[in-house]
Amino acid sequence: MIAGLLERLRHGDRNALARLLSITARGEQLADIQSALAIPCEPSPVRGRSPSRVVAFTGSGGVGKSTLIGKLINLVRNLGRKVAVLACDPQSPLSGGALLGDRFRMGSSTDDGVFIRSLAAQTGHGAIADHLDVMIRLLETFGFDAIFLETVGAGQGDVEVRNLADVVVLMLQPESGDDVQWEKAGILECADVIVVHKSDMPTAEQTAAQVRAALDLSMGRSVPVLRVSTKANQGHAELWQAIEALPLRRRPASAALLLFQMAVDTLRQRFENRQQDAELRKLVEAWQRGEVSTASAVETLVRSLES
Amino acid sequence: MDQPIRIVLAKVGLDGHDRGIKVVARALRDAGMHVIYAGLWQTPEAVVRTVADEDADWLGLSLLSGAHMTLVPRVLDILKQADLANVGVIVGGIIPEADIPKLTAMGVAKIFGPGTSLDDIVAFLKTPREHKP
Ligand SMILES: Nc1nc2c(ncn2[C@@H]2O[C@H](COP(=O)(O)OP(=O)(O)OP(=O)(O)O)[C@@H](O)[C@H]2O)c(=O)[nH]1
Ligand SMILES: [Mg+2]
Repeated sequence: MIAGLLERLRHGDRNALARLLSITARGEQLADIQSALAIPCEPSPVRGRSPSRVVAFTGSGGVGKSTLIGKLINLVRNLGRKVAVLACDPQSPLSGGALLGDRFRMGSSTDDGVFIRSLAAQTGHGAIADHLDVMIRLLETFGFDAIFLETVGAGQGDVEVRNLADVVVLMLQPESGDDVQWEKAGILECADVIVVHKSDMPTAEQTAAQVRAALDLSMGRSVPVLRVSTKANQGHAELWQAIEALPLRRRPASAALLLFQMAVDTLRQRFENRQQDAELRKLVEAWQRGEVSTASAVETLVRSLES
Repeated sequence: MDQPIRIVLAKVGLDGHDRGIKVVARALRDAGMHVIYAGLWQTPEAVVRTVADEDADWLGLSLLSGAHMTLVPRVLDILKQADLANVGVIVGGIIPEADIPKLTAMGVAKIFGPGTSLDDIVAFLKTPREHKP
């Protein structure tokens, strides 16, 4: 079934994409999906295309993540790019239910170049839904140029988000009294771009100055700090420019990691097949008796799994 | 483990009241469902697109404006065109008694009038459907 769905996905079938995202969200058949996606298929619409840009939007609840994403969707569409959004909202730990209200703020359309999926993020699993890495690969394979992630708005520095996204946009708002918390939680460190949103509010410039001061104190990394108002329709072009000016951080790391992951799986399989081998048992016993060092036993084991 | 039911809730038509649909959204969430709130003033085309992209099991339409006999068939039609006839459709709002059999004949799974209790909606959605994929 997965193979058929992936085939349909590669031919641009939206319903297949939607179904594969659901299967992935449930954590089913991940290995199958992942390994199929890792192999560039021929003929594939992905080949020769530049890689997708994955942009994460994070920040406390109500800072305007969904509204801003809605605006950026239009902007990026006008540049002729296709956009997909994975929007996370929290799932109740008690009922398991979730009210997924982000897409309502993003505006509705029937534009084929826009795809929005709402996802429930379980409490205790960080600021995003599970298996987002595989979902991003599915959207890339389908051919989206830009992929936006909306976090649940925990407002905390989240390493996982940083690993998944090329660019992390941290959104803050005036008069939130957040400034001490930024420092404490190390929130600013995770950001590639900082947006002071709702800059139509009077104290926005003050907040931006505080952020700049905090950045100067900490790392000397130059992070753009931009004022944006979606309400007043200001600052989005500058924001997109800043996002596009950044390198695609994710690509080299995660492609290599994916390959490594598959290598690990292969080695584990080989190891499991050989657990009863006489040679392996001899090695283990020698190690247990202290006749070979751990380092050398590991080396020998790795070499024995080479083929 | 049982997978949560995914339902899209949307208002089609011109009236701008969303209190009712929001109350329903919360009740379904509290009953363990994943509720995608699509909002007001949705066109039938946009609603179906949302259902497709969200891979929803159910679509809940709310209508107060009296245009149900044109809007509901239109949604059902576009669902079919989009290869989504397997999605269950429920309708809430002010629907005259005489129109109910017509709408069910067209393929609406259930119509919930103004007096419906939230428990009834939850119970209906949680009853297994035979014709699900
Ligand atoms: N003043 C002002 N209000 C805004 C602006 N952008 C959004 N808002 C309002 O901020 C509120 C929250 O917006 P959302 O986009 O839902 O915020 P969010 O960060 O996605 O919220 P969660 O998903 O709940 O974490 C809404 O009432 C918006 O109307 C802006 O530029 N200026
Ligand atoms: Mg939101």
